[in-house]
Amino acid sequence: MAYESSGEPRTLFQLDGVTKTYGAVTALDDLSVTVPSGAIGLLGPNGSGKTTMIRTLLGLIPVDAGSGQVLGMDFLHRQLNIRREVGFAPENECLFPAVEGVQFVAYAGELVGMRSKDAMQRAHEVLDYVGLGEARYRKVESYSTGMKQRLKLASAIVHDPKLLILDEPTNGMDPDGREEVLQLCRDLARNKGMSLLFSSHLLPDVEAVCDYIIVLGNGKLLAQGNIQQLKQVHNQCFEVRVKAGSETFAQGLSALGCVIEARDDVLLVQIPKGESPRMLWRAAAEQNQQIRYLRSQRSTLEEVFLKALEQK
Amino acid sequence: MPIFDQGYQHWSGHLSGRAWRWLAVTRQGIRGGLKNRFLRYVLFAAWVPALALVLMLCMWGLLERRSSLASTFMQYYMALLQPGVVADPQHYRADIWRLSYGYFLEIELRFSMVLILLVGPNLISQDLRFNALPLYFSRPLRRIDYFLGKLGVILAFLGMVVIVPSIVAYVLGLLFSLDITIIRDTFGILLASVAYGLILTFSAGMLILALSALSRSSRYVALCWVGIWLVSGIVATVLQAVDSQQRRYVYYNKMTVARPNGRDFDNLSRAERDKQWRAYRQARERAAEEYRVAELGFSAHDWRPLVSYTENLSRLGQQLLGTDQTWKRLSLLDPDQDARDQLLATYMGPQYPWYWSAGVLTGLFGLSACVLNLSVKSLDRLK
Amino acid sequence: MCSEPFGKIAGPAEVRPIVAFHEVSKWYGNVIGLNKLTIRIPAGVTGLLGPNGAGKSTLLQLATGQLYPSQGTVHVLGQPVWNNPSLNRRIGLCPEQDAFYEWMTGWDFVYTSARLGGLGRADARDATGRTLDAVGMTRHKGRAIRGYSKGMRQRIKMAQALVHGPHVLFLDEPLAGTDPLARRALMDIIQRLGSEGKSVVVSSHVLHEVQSLTPNIILLNRGRLLAEGQVRQIRDLIDKHPHHIVLVCDGSRKLASRLVGWEDVEGIRMLPGGKALMVETRSPDAFYGRLPQLSLEDGTEIKEVYSDDDNLEAVFKYLVNK
Repeated sequence: MAYESSGEPRTLFQLDGVTKTYGAVTALDDLSVTVPSGAIGLLGPNGSGKTTMIRTLLGLIPVDAGSGQVLGMDFLHRQLNIRREVGFAPENECLFPAVEGVQFVAYAGELVGMRSKDAMQRAHEVLDYVGLGEARYRKVESYSTGMKQRLKLASAIVHDPKLLILDEPTNGMDPDGREEVLQLCRDLARNKGMSLLFSSHLLPDVEAVCDYIIVLGNGKLLAQGNIQQLKQVHNQCFEVRVKAGSETFAQGLSALGCVIEARDDVLLVQIPKGESPRMLWRAAAEQNQQIRYLRSQRSTLEEVFLKALEQK
Repeated sequence: MPIFDQGYQHWSGHLSGRAWRWLAVTRQGIRGGLKNRFLRYVLFAAWVPALALVLMLCMWGLLERRSSLASTFMQYYMALLQPGVVADPQHYRADIWRLSYGYFLEIELRFSMVLILLVGPNLISQDLRFNALPLYFSRPLRRIDYFLGKLGVILAFLGMVVIVPSIVAYVLGLLFSLDITIIRDTFGILLASVAYGLILTFSAGMLILALSALSRSSRYVALCWVGIWLVSGIVATVLQAVDSQQRRYVYYNKMTVARPNGRDFDNLSRAERDKQWRAYRQARERAAEEYRVAELGFSAHDWRPLVSYTENLSRLGQQLLGTDQTWKRLSLLDPDQDARDQLLATYMGPQYPWYWSAGVLTGLFGLSACVLNLSVKSLDRLK
Repeated sequence: MCSEPFGKIAGPAEVRPIVAFHEVSKWYGNVIGLNKLTIRIPAGVTGLLGPNGAGKSTLLQLATGQLYPSQGTVHVLGQPVWNNPSLNRRIGLCPEQDAFYEWMTGWDFVYTSARLGGLGRADARDATGRTLDAVGMTRHKGRAIRGYSKGMRQRIKMAQALVHGPHVLFLDEPLAGTDPLARRALMDIIQRLGSEGKSVVVSSHVLHEVQSLTPNIILLNRGRLLAEGQVRQIRDLIDKHPHHIVLVCDGSRKLASRLVGWEDVEGIRMLPGGKALMVETRSPDAFYGRLPQLSLEDGTEIKEVYSDDDNLEAVFKYLVNK
């Protein structure tokens, strides 16, 4: 989903033949990718070059070969300008030491070049948005993990960037905290017109926030595309769960010509051509079964990911 | 619309240019430093010598104008200085100012070392400990801005105790003298003290930054700083003492009068004994005076003071202010050659060439810069 | 392997508890860790959940004998676990903290753990090779742990917990930092261990992972036991929140008008898109029973039916955020 605000480029970033090696290890191998603006998920196994790619986009490391641009700016020559328009929330725990929460965020803004009054006003605004109320007046060392992650997020958006890069933002958070952070990310991406690059190993998180994904492996691009399009729908295949007695139900269905496969407590039913789910309801009514779950079979994001990795 | 959106608001304001980015780092560092109450106490205490300097300069100005106020303090002047100086204040104005500034800078050098001990170790090591470097370098901030910002913290604090008091004292001394020709005589002193302040800041600042960047624990950094400041001083003193003691014995061995001792001595009358003791003591004093004068000459080749960090800075300060010439001029007041030599031997600083110290300090500066470059890497190699 | 008597904590024969807490409380100074917890963990994979500060780490530390309860008793495999080193041979722990001997190679580390676990030299060598193969670290076994990525360290941690063939496993955030490939491999190992009759307790914040591992959960909150059992059973017992069932149908409005007539339907919400609606009901059994008949009627063929709060996340949210 690309936003068409006035003057904003529809391409979020673009890499052309980028190669980066660290000694014997090739982190990025002739990588070329063009990514539209919106909420983008960055997936890949460990060591696939995700971190290197993020650093390249931020202009933090020199590349051996290739070029590219972020938000229309060349990352080989206009690195500082890129970092004014990009916010980055790094993976590990990082803090400016010995300050209160609001001072932390204001300082983060001042480092981008905001005036101190602007930075303080904006810090309060942004802390309201991420939901750190009175806690902002306490020292940051006393924060819990969830609060620290939200503080990091706040400090990344204080200068209103056009692109927000998040590296494992829900690391180590309890379910409530995770839900809140994901909600903030969704809100930023969908309602506030900020583009997001979300790098995570937790595929359901990526699915909850992003519409488009890139899969990297061994420094190369393995797959890219819209999530809904990548998850193929198998038209005649359905996932069915019944309340009890799934074996008898399965037998009944295969008698009608369906191909059944059992997985955990769910049946994968492929109905013959020309039929519709109606036949499943008929079978359920006849056998006095309760169908508790009926959906078209769609590959999960995990399957898309694993398939992309196998194809390399 | 009567209900206002409480969610995220966009912001498009003014972003300052690259050149001022380091100021944000400095401001933050100063704020953090001032939270430490020992630092506040030391800053307060460091202004006491500044007050003393102001007092000295103002009183000298009053003396020049022969004001009534000065006459009440005349007895103190007489006690402190030679009458020839008090008789002609204007002629010796520059010299007295020079000496006052010299003592002031020596004291403030010690205070600066304490200030750096209180504020310096945390500067980079705290950022390393809390892993703040990714936050810094993912913003439009180059490494040089970061280092300059941190150095600016040191500049702010040392400037507060060295440079600002120098300037304020100069202006006040000027006002109390009401004589514009002072500027011609003494402007060099102001420049020298400001230059000294800057040299002190850059040298000590780079050194403490380099130490701070080497460790995550500010306690080890503080220990290292104490090592450089105090331990190197002690080592230099010990080396010098060992060396000079050997030379001292040469002079004592050259004494022709022996120490009164032995059974023959005990048998002498009281008057005879006293006379011999007196002769012995005089000979000893003579030897000590000769030794001291010779030491002054010897110190021209002595490399041992270079081991002490603070000694190097003092030597440069001494050179910039030109206190040696001042002492030479003051010693001319005394007609007696021996007395003059004794004065010089007592008050003049070490005589080795100033460019040795400059070399040592430059070397340390370069080493610090290399260490900083290697240890604070940009996010290229940070995990 | 389970021939030891369980003593007075014996439960019904088919659900012999392997880990048994009896009215266990633990506090640190004034701060409460666990508050009168009585629980019996059977064989198989069990998920241990709870918000921050719920007492999950305290429970794991008590169960492995690292802490002594302020009140109550802790028994594992029928024996008290405090001061019982021989029992440690049969317990494996994969802690949350990341602390290794960084200079050791992966192979050395797991071999040392095997030897410390009581295996002889040859046995330890075999076990190390097998376990490293199982977690997929054979390729990197010769490298120092210092050079491992987060996922590799996690896998070595699992290896040292498994290598001495324990009967009871306690895993604290075992999948943290692993990429989806490693995650799949480790989850397969955990499920296999569960089906072999061992007792595996997995503590995690990532609810969808726990959900795909096991339906049995233990939910703690503020040091107290909030719920235990199967996710669906727990869901059925939560009265306060009616079940939300989503129906996708072309003629959704017509379907809605039919459903409104049913007594146990408490609410119907039309979802955006026009093709789906959400039904709230407190008697899902009766509702599902009548659904096939309704679907076969004219114009109301139901294309999809699913319950979007029948999962662990919803249960967690309802129970913890009263």
